[in-house]
Amino acid sequence: MAAAVTTAHHRTPASRVLGARGTLVPLAVLIALIALVSISEPAFLTSTSLTSMAVDAGPVLLLVFGSTLVILLGGIDLSVAALASLSSVLLALWLPSLGSWAVLAVILVAATLGAAQGAIQAFTQIPSFVVTLGGLGIFSGLALRLSGASSQPLLESYAVVDFAAADTLGVPHTLLVVAAVAGLLAAVMRFLPVGRRVYAVGAGERAALLSGVGTVGVRVFAFAVSGACAAVAALLLVAQTQFAGPDLADNLLLPAIAAVVVGGTAISGGVGGLGAALIGGLIVTVVRVGTVIVGLDPAVQNIVFGIGVVVAVALTTDRAKIGVIK
Amino acid sequence: MTAPLLAVEHLTKRFRGATALEDVSLELRSGEVVGLIGQNGSGKSTLLKCLVGIHQPDGGRLVFRGEPTRIRGVADAGARGVGIVFQEQSLLPNLSVAENIMLGKPSASTRGGFYRWGRLRREAERHLAKIESTIAPGALVSDLSFGQRQMVELAKVLALEELVDGELVILFDEPTSVLSAPEIQQLFRQVQRLRSRACVVFVSHRLDEVLEVSDRVCVLQDGRCVAERMAAGTHPKDLYHLMVGSERAEDYYLQSERAEATSDSPLLEVERLGSHGRFSDVSFELARGQVLGLAGVVGSGREALCRALFGAVPITSGTVTLEGRRLRLRSPGDAVRAGLGFVPSERDTEGIVRGRSVHENMVLAYDRQLASGPLLSRSAERRAVEDWMTQLRVKAPGPDTRIEQLSGGNAQKVALGKWLLGRDLRVLVLDHPTRGLDLGAKGDLYGIIRRLAGEGLAILLMSDTLEETLGLSDEVIVMRDGEVSGRFDTHHDPPSSQQLVELMV
Repeated sequence: MAAAVTTAHHRTPASRVLGARGTLVPLAVLIALIALVSISEPAFLTSTSLTSMAVDAGPVLLLVFGSTLVILLGGIDLSVAALASLSSVLLALWLPSLGSWAVLAVILVAATLGAAQGAIQAFTQIPSFVVTLGGLGIFSGLALRLSGASSQPLLESYAVVDFAAADTLGVPHTLLVVAAVAGLLAAVMRFLPVGRRVYAVGAGERAALLSGVGTVGVRVFAFAVSGACAAVAALLLVAQTQFAGPDLADNLLLPAIAAVVVGGTAISGGVGGLGAALIGGLIVTVVRVGTVIVGLDPAVQNIVFGIGVVVAVALTTDRAKIGVIK
Repeated sequence: MTAPLLAVEHLTKRFRGATALEDVSLELRSGEVVGLIGQNGSGKSTLLKCLVGIHQPDGGRLVFRGEPTRIRGVADAGARGVGIVFQEQSLLPNLSVAENIMLGKPSASTRGGFYRWGRLRREAERHLAKIESTIAPGALVSDLSFGQRQMVELAKVLALEELVDGELVILFDEPTSVLSAPEIQQLFRQVQRLRSRACVVFVSHRLDEVLEVSDRVCVLQDGRCVAERMAAGTHPKDLYHLMVGSERAEDYYLQSERAEATSDSPLLEVERLGSHGRFSDVSFELARGQVLGLAGVVGSGREALCRALFGAVPITSGTVTLEGRRLRLRSPGDAVRAGLGFVPSERDTEGIVRGRSVHENMVLAYDRQLASGPLLSRSAERRAVEDWMTQLRVKAPGPDTRIEQLSGGNAQKVALGKWLLGRDLRVLVLDHPTRGLDLGAKGDLYGIIRRLAGEGLAILLMSDTLEETLGLSDEVIVMRDGEVSGRFDTHHDPPSSQQLVELMV
């Protein structure tokens, strides 16, 4: 016991196995999964199948990108899926009056709701899972109220929804939206000071604070991005299904968080990034689509994600930083 | 000559390519006290950790009582009679003193898996009595001072005496750094008492101490054992030269390089500053190029004062004026924008962001100043980082090295260098800037402090020792119970340490 407390160099099991970065293992897992699925069903690697997989992956990937920023801070956002559901309901409500502007309005509202969670967490100094668990309840409840607790089909066609559902030269627009969001976020994280601050606060909040970093602002930013991504995910879901619903995205919470951690982003903060998120998102998608193609019971998916979350977090958590694990 | 109790033979230990120990050989004989000295990063702690099995050597071997031995961990080491008094606190703060002392030695304190509280208490009392300690065995460790905790650590290791037959090896990893003078003397008496049945290895930064307590001193430099001396007849100065491998200047605090305070108008004016429950009514002025030392014991309010000036502790009364402008200091961000910098005493948690590179740590405060428009400029940053790494002589493989891989002194230079990138830096607050550093790194930092003052920076300094405070400062303010209890001009009317201490307590 004494040794565990005083050993200066804590290393995670992952870093011992993989070296410092550890991004190669998620990539290897992804390739292995693709190989497994395509061996049992060679049609998996055809362009039609890959395209449909990309469309299926879109909403999850957006939730993954958003959650990644919060997890990089060492927090977790449990409200993303509920917020995406609420966003879909708002979208259905506002499309008739606002037209395509409804998308912008929903993104703004979702970003504000996310930002509010970040601000509450920063000011009250309570764990983010508590704040966002509260958010999950509130957003789900609001979605139920506003929708009258029922799924709502889109009654007309709207330019922005049609665009999101269409494709150009065989490239589904879902893919373009995902690529645009990923590119924008990657640029922000690399070229703007706030990107560096997300990593600094995640890796060492007190040191960042005492370097003059506005940690409240960084937190608000990360949660706002998470909210905005949830709104875009809602747009893609509505475009795919032509429905809005108070539980439309609810089953995406576990896959989204599984994707972030399976990609190698550590819930202890400061380690990982959007590249890891992309790989994790693809792993989750291959599992989702692959189980269906191979003919497994879809219930297996959640079992796989559940195991994946625990294993991935066990491998990537920096236990030295958390101190006592409870 | 008797066979050594424990022989270290050609020990080598590497961490990811960096060599921590290189071909170190050392013989420990019973009844002997061996001092181990070396700068930070020279491998002292690594060597001790190899001896108790926390690290496994990559080369060489340990021969214990004549048998080549592999020690698998602290518990294994303890069972063989090798105990370590840790530098970092290894006690569990929420348990009682008695439980801590008897932890991991269940045979004496349990029966059938159940604690025998009475026996536990008596055993602990006995071990505490051996070191003439009056600490109550039932006290919670969290209620003890650091000095008292160190004594409990010692008692814990001494409890091995009765569990193991034959001679013990007891390792002390910088035991004196948190002890008061009487506690140190008591510790030394224990070390002398232990001679009768143990061999003691004693690691310390304080060379006079090592010479006082040891028979033989081994000097480590960059992971190698560069010299062994008998303590008798060796002067601390000689040891210092062996340790740093270079001359130590006579003028240790570089007082000849003191900057002359040039400007007539003060740079920073602090008037009747107070923070409720922490300190009150503190006033002083600080000129360009001036070093102001703050003396005081823990709880005197000086730490809170420094943090308040940096916006990390709320100010409830009084004003802070910088270059004629009144400052609103509600967060460290406000202070940074106003031109203040702060090097905290808790280096690992507050001074540096572990897990990130030297580059990122160094630009964290001022990357917006180096940016082109809203975008970060990595090339401009890189130039500034490399420039300061050279100027401050930061020893690191490169700017992309993760900062936790640097030694304490080099990490501290980065924590300080972070502020020097700022074009508008006016005031630097240094909270124990040399804490935990070896003499060589301290000397480097003194040079840096002098240079910065010479360039017109105003410096507010808190330091571990009065000698350092007096040596570096132009003016010293003494604080007691949250109030200023004395002021001295160290140029014209240098106070004695005695004078300062009287005002501090």
